[in-house]
Amino acid sequence: MTVATRFKSGRTGTGDAYVSDHSGSPHARFMRLTSYALAPLGALSAWWILGLAGKSFDGVRAEIGRPIPALVLLAFGVVGMIHARKGMDDIIEDYVQDQTLKAWAFLANLWASRAIAALWTFAILLIAAPK
Amino acid sequence: MADADTDRLAARRPLSPHLTIFKPILTMMMSIAHRITGAGLYVGMALLTLFLLGAAIGGGAFSAVSWIASGFIGNLIVLMIVWAIFHHLLGGVRHAFWDRGLYMDPQGRELLAQGTLVGGILLTLLFYICKTLAS
Repeated sequence: MTVATRFKSGRTGTGDAYVSDHSGSPHARFMRLTSYALAPLGALSAWWILGLAGKSFDGVRAEIGRPIPALVLLAFGVVGMIHARKGMDDIIEDYVQDQTLKAWAFLANLWASRAIAALWTFAILLIAAPK
Repeated sequence: MADADTDRLAARRPLSPHLTIFKPILTMMMSIAHRITGAGLYVGMALLTLFLLGAAIGGGAFSAVSWIASGFIGNLIVLMIVWAIFHHLLGGVRHAFWDRGLYMDPQGRELLAQGTLVGGILLTLLFYICKTLAS
């Protein structure tokens, strides 16, 4: 901004850097609210994830095939990836300065998080859903 | 001439505070660790998804994922995921305290930062010990 540039308020102006999209506090509140669910889900999921490495095929399926681990891991994966997508958006906003690259990064993040959540759900359902 | 003036003025301007400018302190390090563990969990979830897909499909797919998962690298990844979950979880708890205006004084925030660091490691250790005893 030079002296000649007129300041435009975030509330009234149409400038770039000075315009807020008013998403800050909803974003913070969303992260807080999802974290209330993710704290117990994460601790429980950590317990079952810990048991997975080194298990046999039948061992893994027996562990995840039980209803409560399956449901907890499912919820952790889905809520977690929504929370993670929003968190990664923050990181992109902070570190990716190029506007074109930034737009692509947001899009890649959106679809990567959706793909992970979807495949995660799909895999657990394949293992645990009643036949 | 104008350029030389500009350069001299620029050199006298205060620098914008940044990582290389600030003295590294624990609360700052824990803030950075919170972000790193968050991004790490994103990657960790992608890797776990591959593992679960292998277990869901079975056969050669499971052999492929379990070949990595049952080795040193797999165990290291699981250790990092479990620790990252606890570190990030406790980082969130710390923010929950701060949201309520608690522990914001110098001693309080230092205590919470230490609690995040030590608590994350202790909870990971505790889970590994309990898992070993349970199996």
